[in-house]
Amino acid sequence: MGFLSADNQAEVKRLFEGLTGDVHLIYFTQRESPLFIPGHECETCKDTRTLLEEVAALSDKIKLEVHDFVAESQLAQEYAIDRIPALVITADSVKGRIRYFGLPSGYEFSVLLGSLLDASQGKSELSDASVETLGSVEKNLHIQVFVTPT
Amino acid sequence: MAIENEHVMADVIEVNEFPNLAQRYVIRGVPKTVINDTVEFIGNVPESQFMEHIQRASSPSETSS
Repeated sequence: MGFLSADNQAEVKRLFEGLTGDVHLIYFTQRESPLFIPGHECETCKDTRTLLEEVAALSDKIKLEVHDFVAESQLAQEYAIDRIPALVITADSVKGRIRYFGLPSGYEFSVLLGSLLDASQGKSELSDASVETLGSVEKNLHIQVFVTPT
Repeated sequence: MAIENEHVMADVIEVNEFPNLAQRYVIRGVPKTVINDTVEFIGNVPESQFMEHIQRASSPSETSS
């Protein structure tokens, strides 16, 4: 079942006209098994993959890679992924690391689209003053923003 | 911020899907932001205020856990 209606798709496609550089979506999931193992299920992994596939289909600048969290644990470690569903958004012009954990639904979906555009264009929406302040930061900063679907 | 600085790792976490993190970071309101496990605040704060938190978290006296 699809997540994006024809109207949604048209809207996202219009938005994606603003994409300039390629954006890589590195998605970690688990093998989709009919077996239910308590404590090891990933309820939203399949839905997240479906949604990302629908998004990636709307622009050839969005490159989706799907990886198995367990079978490709070394790659997961490289991105410090310790839980799934996990998405890493990379592009040539992204200096740090942008990650998304969970199914980006509701308002968070538009946040995700905004991140894709920013990553593609290689520019944040921050003021010059903030960019300057950030430029002087030499310590590793791990910023975690906790959200709920709305 | 992660676009601008190589030292920044920015995560968005759907908290309902990771109850252990909700418990660990005592999430009672969203959006909740935690920087290096040392600085935290709730709500959509203005950019200037966010940057103050960034500066606080990146000052040498703050040690990350």
